[in-house]
Amino acid sequence: MPHQLTRNFCIIAHVDHGKTTLSDRLLEYTNTVEQRVMTDQHLDAMDLEKERGITIKSHPVTMRYHAKDGQVYKLNLMDTPGHVDFSYEVSRSLAACEGAVLLIDAAQGVEAQTVANAHLAFGQKLKVIPVINKIDLPSANLDLCLKQLEDILTISAEEAILASGKAGIGIVDILEAVVQRVPSPRWTDYAQTRALVFDSLYDSYRGVISYVRVFSGAVRAGEFMLLMSNSAKSEIKEVGVFMPKMEKTASLGAGDVGYVVSNIKDPSEIKIGDTLTLSAKPAAAMLPGYKEVRPMVFCGLYPVETSDYEKLKAALGRLRLNDAAFVYSSESSVALGFGFRCGFLGLLHMEIIQERIRREHDVDIISTYPSVVYRVVKHGDVTIEVDNPVNLPDPGEILEIREPTIKAAIHIPNDSMGDILALIMEKRGVVDHTDTLDATRVMLTCILPLNEILVDFNDRLKSVTHGYGSMDYELGEYRAADLVKMEILVNADPVDAFASIVHREKAEGKGRELCEKLADIIPPQMFKVAIQAAIGGKIIARDNVKEMRKDVTAKCYGGDISRKRKLLDKQKEGKKKMKQFGRVSIPSDAFIKVLKTN
Amino acid sequence: MSGLGTEQAKASAAAAHSGASAAEVPAPLGLYVHVPFCASTCDFCAFYQTQPTAGSVDRFLGTVRKEAELVNWDRPVHTVFWGGGTPGLLAPRDLGRLAEIVRAHCAGVPEEWTVELAPTTVTAERLAVLREAGVTRVSLGVQSFQPALLEALGRQHTRDRIFRAYERIRAAGFASVNLDLMFALPGQSEEEWAADVREAAALAPDHLSTYCLTFEEDTKLWVKLSQGRVKLDPEHEARLYEATWSQLEAAGFAQYEISNFARPGHICRHNLNTWRMHEWIGLGPSAASQHGGWRGANVSDLDKWWTGVERGVRLTEDRVALTPRLLAEDALIFGLRMNAGVDLAAWRLRAPEAPWATVEDSLATLAAGELLMREGDRVRLTTRGRLIADTIGTEIMAAFEPLLETA
Ligand SMILES: Nc1nc2c(ncn2[C@@H]2O[C@H](COP(=O)(O)OP(=O)(O)OP(=O)(O)O)[C@@H](O)[C@H]2O)c(=O)[nH]1
Ligand code: SF4
Ligand SMILES: [Mg+2]
Repeated sequence: MPHQLTRNFCIIAHVDHGKTTLSDRLLEYTNTVEQRVMTDQHLDAMDLEKERGITIKSHPVTMRYHAKDGQVYKLNLMDTPGHVDFSYEVSRSLAACEGAVLLIDAAQGVEAQTVANAHLAFGQKLKVIPVINKIDLPSANLDLCLKQLEDILTISAEEAILASGKAGIGIVDILEAVVQRVPSPRWTDYAQTRALVFDSLYDSYRGVISYVRVFSGAVRAGEFMLLMSNSAKSEIKEVGVFMPKMEKTASLGAGDVGYVVSNIKDPSEIKIGDTLTLSAKPAAAMLPGYKEVRPMVFCGLYPVETSDYEKLKAALGRLRLNDAAFVYSSESSVALGFGFRCGFLGLLHMEIIQERIRREHDVDIISTYPSVVYRVVKHGDVTIEVDNPVNLPDPGEILEIREPTIKAAIHIPNDSMGDILALIMEKRGVVDHTDTLDATRVMLTCILPLNEILVDFNDRLKSVTHGYGSMDYELGEYRAADLVKMEILVNADPVDAFASIVHREKAEGKGRELCEKLADIIPPQMFKVAIQAAIGGKIIARDNVKEMRKDVTAKCYGGDISRKRKLLDKQKEGKKKMKQFGRVSIPSDAFIKVLKTN
Repeated sequence: MSGLGTEQAKASAAAAHSGASAAEVPAPLGLYVHVPFCASTCDFCAFYQTQPTAGSVDRFLGTVRKEAELVNWDRPVHTVFWGGGTPGLLAPRDLGRLAEIVRAHCAGVPEEWTVELAPTTVTAERLAVLREAGVTRVSLGVQSFQPALLEALGRQHTRDRIFRAYERIRAAGFASVNLDLMFALPGQSEEEWAADVREAAALAPDHLSTYCLTFEEDTKLWVKLSQGRVKLDPEHEARLYEATWSQLEAAGFAQYEISNFARPGHICRHNLNTWRMHEWIGLGPSAASQHGGWRGANVSDLDKWWTGVERGVRLTEDRVALTPRLLAEDALIFGLRMNAGVDLAAWRLRAPEAPWATVEDSLATLAAGELLMREGDRVRLTTRGRLIADTIGTEIMAAFEPLLETA
């Protein structure tokens, strides 16, 4: 099929605006998936995706469509994730397309990721097809949506298609628009073979499988491919397309989307966004837009049962194979034993990985507080990166600590302005400027420390705006801040798992809260135990663990000795599993409980 | 370090050593007889007991006689204790028969001979038989003076029965009388308990045992606890303990163990000897022994017990070999329950192979935390320590463990 009859497009939208559901209808209409095997949110293949109803990975699929002009088109569709953590995933998918179907939930209107993703699409010069979705909803407000389309996104309302993925409205209109409005594949006449790697997967039988969009030339089995970012060379074993299951083909040509199996053993050699070319006739220039993805949020992950360490290690290894954005390395903690430092794109990414470890790999784990990556400028003009508060150098060595910030676009109803400004201030943010979106909504562009939005920012945003607020962000620059390491001491011994880097002004409040929690959760002790929060040796908050009041058997005569010994022995074995802090034994699940109550 | 190997230490070590050679003073030997019969089962009871059936008392007595013949009576018996169950359920004639069996093996008159009696079983006739036989001490199971609590505990007796029983016992002229009381009963207020203690003290017994209600597995009370129908409140229990101790002290009863108080000269020597890790022989189902190189308990089943004995075997459970090291460990764990504490020097001499260095470390930590006091070689618990004696027991057990790594 000539590439003139190929259309590559993705579906983009804010979270939950119905991308995957609409994809279902397209698959059905084009008979890509037979009725009898069709399931809801078909492209969300992972259990976790199905259960949470969210898309985590972009899903490519090739459809054949008999258009009204009498031609049969090959449509390569990519369903994308909506959540901000996976925006790199979205931008890679966009880079593999010439068009984007932009969904707007008719009841919600334009939200933060609607704008962010639309801008990503414009930036990549894609043809954007606006679709007002979920028009079956009684609360649908078409007038508002169409007006927002013009006012906020500067797209003519006349271009909009009204649809409902759920009710199957507007499906043909969308397919026709894709055929007619989305241009045929670009950059096909480049002299050498170039393909964009937009995802990869590890299969225990076939090894690393790269998902590619071919721009020029062709790839077929038997040839040697070259990855341009690191010059890794390997033989191509198989190529094929997604129907949506993988189906082997003879070759992938210009404009095609499909997969490449090569004999690359180490999945970390495949970088998402890389350009694949042929080693016999390599391309001179990479496709535009390649960017290393770097984890932004780190935490320690530890097995609850120390005996599960190896199992956890294996689980992380396997997850890493399919997730280049996830990194880990081993570390150990006095309180929690042996575990791993892990890096993620964001909190949702972190949560998902943790859940997959628990569920798919059956390892019970505990996570330390998430931390961002700080840049610490030391005397002598040395800058180091610190992703674990424990590794922060002594204050004497530090000239300055810089923290990552984000540039956030926050969409809110006008009437929650006061609350949001207070929230931003509390989170040490500054509002750069305010744009009026329409009569009822504004968008605040602000700079916030990444660290401050990790914990509860999104929840608070949702709650003060009664669910109508949304946020999108991109990483901003590093900025110097008055940051200090706060340690938690148990009877004067620091407990590494609770060390954190906090803003000086927030240290006391946070310290008090932690001390209180620990004092409450640690079971009563034989001895006096002080829990303290300290900055550089100075105590800023303290609390005491309850003292054990009564643990004595009333009757203990000759006949009770054997039984009593057994009970004491059991208690003793229990104590051995505890962590020792001087004279204090603390069950590790006490730390776990404190970490969990956040 | 403390004075190892002093003359005094040697002397007390010899006294503590139960397997003493002929030249040394033999350590005291106790005899415990378990009478496994009760009219009904109390809610909190975890003792082995069963309702007597036709012929079972006869067979019990016959089997005790046979079991006694299987024991190596290597030296005179110093103290005797009949517990249960309810020894007082035996008819006067049967009490006499049991006493006869006991005396046959005691080689002389025991210095102390205690019998537990429930108030309902105290009759002049039974008391006369016991007095005649040589019983010196009666322990009366009062539990409470509050009718509602007696009822709640599932006890058979009334308040009046207690006073009548006490009068009869006093009239019979036993050398020592003990009253058993229980506290921390569900629904019992601190005032109610203080009233019980007051009433008990007012009777002027020689000895008092006050037991905090314990939730033993396989009891009706335990079931209630696990169903959440009653709740544990350690803070409340601790307050009751403290109140008891000071109240009895003021009334002239010196505490000598967690739950035991006596007027001068009335400490129960039989029990004292078990906390000091001396030896005793137990007869009857579920009775424990620590004698002849082993510790263990007879099977807790009347049928199994008597068929075993009839075949010439004492079937035992939880049997362990006694080593000086184990005895030293237990002398500390259980000895610290006593207000007088434990003489370390004696045990160090007797069990030099025990890991004394780690034990000393552990004791020093406890002392630093004001849970334990040290006077020379004697260690004893502080009031606060005594309230958490079990936790301290696990610390000591850990210190005695040979391979406990500090990693
Ligand atoms: N009423 C109505 N509900 C819809 C429609 N399309 C999707 N939904 C519902 O909206 C929710 C989100 O649908 P998805 O298709 O998973 O949305 P998504 O955009 O893929 O979500 P993410 O991948 O998490 O960004 C689900 O509960 C769907 O049932 C529609 O046309 N009408
Ligand atoms: S009388 Fe004593 S032995 Fe008998 S059931 Fe009651 S508590 Fe148990
Ligand atoms: Mg989706």
